[in-house]
Amino acid sequence: MTARYSLGIDIGGTFTDIVVFDHTQGRQFARKVLTTHTDPATGVIDGVRQVLSADELPATEIGRVVHATTLFTNATIERKGAATGLITTDGFRDVLEIGRERKYELYDLAIAKPAPLAPRGWRREVAGRIDAEGKERVPLDLSALVDAAKSLQADGVQSVAVVFLHSYTNPAHERAAGLALAEAVPDLAISLSVEVAPEIREYERTSTTVVNAYIKPLAATYLDRLAEELAGLGIAAPLQLMLSNGGLGALEQAKQAPVALLESGPAAGALAGAWFGANDGDGHVLAFDMGGTTAKLSLVDDAQPLIAYDFEAARQKRFAHGSGLPIKISTIELIEIGAGGGSIARLNALGLLQVGPDSAGSEPGPACYGLGGEQPTVTDANFLLGYLNPEFFAGGSMDVDMQAARIAVASLAAQAGLSPEQAAWGIHDIANEAMAGAARVHIAERGKDPRKYALLATGGGGPLHAYHVAQKLGCRRIIVPPAAGVASAVGLLIAPARVDRVATVAAELDLLDWTAFEARYAALEAEAHTLIAATGLDPAQATTERLADVRYVGQAFEVVVSLPPGPYTKAAKPGLIAAFEAAYVEKFTRTPPAVPVEIINIRTAVSAEVPGERPRSAVTATGDPKPNAQRSLYFPEANGFVETPVFDRADLPAGYAFQGPAVIEESASTLIIGPSGKARVAADGNIVVDLES
Amino acid sequence: MTTTAPFDAVTLEVIWRRMISAADEAAKTLQRTSFSTLVNESNDFACVITDADGHSLVQNTESIPSFNSCLPVTVQHFLKEIGRENMNPGDVYICNDPWVATGHLNDVTVAKPIFSNGKLAAFAASTAHAPDIGGKVRSVVAKEIFEEGFQIPAMKLLDRGEVDRTFIKLIRAQVRTPDQTEGDLWAQLTGLALMEARVADLMAEYSLPDLTAFGEEIQGRSERAMRAAMAAVPDGRYEASFDTDGFDHPLHYQCAVTVTGDRINVDFTGTSEQIPKAINCTFTYTFAMVSYALKSALLPDVPNNDGIFRCMEVTAPEGSIVNPRRPVSVGGRMATGHYLPALVFQALAPVLPDKVMAACGSPLWSIVQTGIDKRGRTYANTLFFNGGMGALPTKPGESCYSWPSNISNVPVELVERNTPLFIHSKSLREGSGGTGVHPGGEGQEMVFESESETPVGIIFMAERLKFAAKGLEGGGEGALGEVLIDNKPADARADHALNLGQTITLRTPGGGGYGKA
Repeated sequence: MTARYSLGIDIGGTFTDIVVFDHTQGRQFARKVLTTHTDPATGVIDGVRQVLSADELPATEIGRVVHATTLFTNATIERKGAATGLITTDGFRDVLEIGRERKYELYDLAIAKPAPLAPRGWRREVAGRIDAEGKERVPLDLSALVDAAKSLQADGVQSVAVVFLHSYTNPAHERAAGLALAEAVPDLAISLSVEVAPEIREYERTSTTVVNAYIKPLAATYLDRLAEELAGLGIAAPLQLMLSNGGLGALEQAKQAPVALLESGPAAGALAGAWFGANDGDGHVLAFDMGGTTAKLSLVDDAQPLIAYDFEAARQKRFAHGSGLPIKISTIELIEIGAGGGSIARLNALGLLQVGPDSAGSEPGPACYGLGGEQPTVTDANFLLGYLNPEFFAGGSMDVDMQAARIAVASLAAQAGLSPEQAAWGIHDIANEAMAGAARVHIAERGKDPRKYALLATGGGGPLHAYHVAQKLGCRRIIVPPAAGVASAVGLLIAPARVDRVATVAAELDLLDWTAFEARYAALEAEAHTLIAATGLDPAQATTERLADVRYVGQAFEVVVSLPPGPYTKAAKPGLIAAFEAAYVEKFTRTPPAVPVEIINIRTAVSAEVPGERPRSAVTATGDPKPNAQRSLYFPEANGFVETPVFDRADLPAGYAFQGPAVIEESASTLIIGPSGKARVAADGNIVVDLES
Repeated sequence: MTTTAPFDAVTLEVIWRRMISAADEAAKTLQRTSFSTLVNESNDFACVITDADGHSLVQNTESIPSFNSCLPVTVQHFLKEIGRENMNPGDVYICNDPWVATGHLNDVTVAKPIFSNGKLAAFAASTAHAPDIGGKVRSVVAKEIFEEGFQIPAMKLLDRGEVDRTFIKLIRAQVRTPDQTEGDLWAQLTGLALMEARVADLMAEYSLPDLTAFGEEIQGRSERAMRAAMAAVPDGRYEASFDTDGFDHPLHYQCAVTVTGDRINVDFTGTSEQIPKAINCTFTYTFAMVSYALKSALLPDVPNNDGIFRCMEVTAPEGSIVNPRRPVSVGGRMATGHYLPALVFQALAPVLPDKVMAACGSPLWSIVQTGIDKRGRTYANTLFFNGGMGALPTKPGESCYSWPSNISNVPVELVERNTPLFIHSKSLREGSGGTGVHPGGEGQEMVFESESETPVGIIFMAERLKFAAKGLEGGGEGALGEVLIDNKPADARADHALNLGQTITLRTPGGGGYGKA
């Protein structure tokens, strides 16, 4: 890589993080600016301008731009996407609304399915039929198709999903429809299921394609504008997009299939966790990213986050599995908990204290924002417990109304018959328990032990809650990377760049044409190498992994298997079977007796390390640092408030070791270390806190 | 942590949630390793962990309500028939006796004892609907159970890890789908092994010598909450009755719900006598449907376990369709059992108008096909269809949603790939929900055509063709269901042979509305 600088952009629901990273120095220049919801590119460009001018960085020397965002998933959750229509095979427009007919919750009589993003009045049918073998039974009625699209457009529809039966096996009708519509109704955004999710099962494929259509106009407008504005700043490097699975995608691909970007923000957080935890966490890290509304946790083994192949967007019942819109894309496996700084505390019907999952958001926000919020939130409790500094909130950029926070918490305390301190600690503790409880289940489901993981804390709230969450989980170590509050954006720039390609094979292993099979892998690898080059990295330095979705003939689901390296000839067969059986046994404990094996999809993952220096803390001092101040923090293990030294992170040199309690402040986050934490600043800039067990 | 009970609230919650996730993980494993669309697409299975006495501790989250209640009964039956002293690590027991399992032979229940320090501590159990069990494939024409397929009394399938090969050979010979039936059985065993491993880990981690204290704690909590909910229902005797399609004559359903303090008795005296048709519903299934209805109405949020079942008493005259005697046929017991929640709700509506739902467009519908596939092999395939849910005082009924069962459809693309049926349409039946302040949910219409050179045997399970789902508080009835062959009304109670080019049209019933529109 020749360029000195990279630019990372991470747009969340509340804040947009901008980081310019200097690879030759390992230095980062960061800004947190408010997300501008009406036109998110404005906030990004303002932030980039601020970073470039404040630190006098030359835009022309930026060689990579990588971007992650939760904008599209939020638009889906908040139902703020485009007016979306659906065109299906004659007789099947209701598949989207009927779904799979199975309840996600057994006992709730008032259960509700998620309402379809394309309402019935905007779902049209056209003649044309492909059968299960991929043969055409009825030709596609192109003029009826164009009429349907025009009538939808006349109704105000901006974006249309086209889903025909069996298009995963023969896409001819969908492709023809795509061409005809592009010509006849060029202003209408079109999403073809074969380009978004070419997989069997019409409901899941339709659901995915409709979500894609729903966010496509938003994504196209925003991404085009962002690319244009970045170029206007003199940044020549192409915009690279973090996908939900942690891989990178190019602009055109992202505009075609923005559904692959839904979980891009959390994926960036998990990748950052994996990367920053690789040294000090011994490869086993629980990445813990806590923001204003939710916390995300993901498990990282051998420095690789797990990938899931089923995902749901916009759950009807927020955290209930099965209540969302199924999306057939691969994502980094993570759990999301409705606990963030803005989570509201109240007494429930049983008189018990409850925190979240609803959030005060940024308006009115926690009571302490002084914007009219009256209900106590986690952030209010954190101020009363001394964890947050009213003089230095969001780097000193926000005024804090401590009186409002006290009144809000005191009123809840009175209802519950608790002292205000008890109530504040209760709020903090219950938020922690919600996160730790969900993490325990998530870890338990994978048969892992939380005590073997280091908790890697990022986001505005991660370092603030990590100490007590780690205690609950039994984690023995906490790792806090430099600039923890914007670590996701930094992670975008330094984590290895990965590109994934997938193709459908659907053949029994015994009947495989090995020459053709090898050629398909080679073609995927060539494609992936081209894309790696486009990310500004050297494909010659990249590593290539072959994977496949494999199952026993007759099963309905595959296991994704990491395969031995190619090239393959017939002689590779025993190795492939052995890899599948080993993966199957690891997942399911046993193999069935004597059933043939089939390969459904082949995958390739190409990844390239980013050369240059690691990020470092911007340390200004040497020798033993002196605290900036003392403040009183509540620690239950000390049975009350304890005078605690407060340090500026920039004052802590590498190698410095100290005993808790301590507060470490940096511009976008605050780290709380309790009395039994032993902390040190690692050579790589991480703060590592070991807990007494 | 120490073993002293009672548990602190946090530890209890952690163990409880991990037990539930063990059952959930086993469910996912069973689904992903199975070979029939009944399991991997329709989700016709459940996983349960019981205590050493066969009392339910946890179930998988998205399971089947009837199975959750029946499975523990089967485990208790294993204890009685096989004997605790004859149970060893590595054993797996199997049974499909409708009177002690889920009400028909098609569901195969397996259970594995979990030992801790040489002592029986728990059972991992699962039920899955087998792709075929032989016999008349659920034809309602069957008069006795002997016609309905392969009967498996409580026995050891695995003895200290050794598979009973004779049994496997026998079952393979009885069924039309030997590979799928056997493959699904292995998938069930995989799920059991997983639950066993997870429970053993959990007990070791928390130094639990057994699950007695844990079980008593969670069952006690659920029971107390359920009793409190029952105590809130005004004392009294509440009756309801209705008629259903039946055969030459309608069948009559009658129940009295008696609330006395924190106890509820549901009695079915007055309900039709058993008939020599395969719609008789064994008592285990009757109990399951009543307990599901009461829990849904009174205590939806508390996790289900034996504590919930303990508070309810259900009585039904022996020899009635809701408590039939052997050896009458029972293959289509859901065609009776699925009416029972609507009956209980109708009885409770006057005293709990804001807690109950109008009648659903259920029982669940199905068609079973049998025939010879393109490769000349025998096959059997079951497809399910749901109607509309009933409306509530607070919201309309959901369209095409499985209630009181929890069974998915099979995707059109998989039906066309796996069977010789071509599907012309699958659509909502607009306007089929009952009218009301909140209308009932809509049913669906599906049109199939046979593309098989040889005739396809078709057996329908279709209810509410004559008696619609009633509304509540003045809400209208849902639309009746319809079954057509070549666009003419067909006798849904008879067995049919569908020839090449013939079509079937199914229109599932709508749900009842709530409140006068």
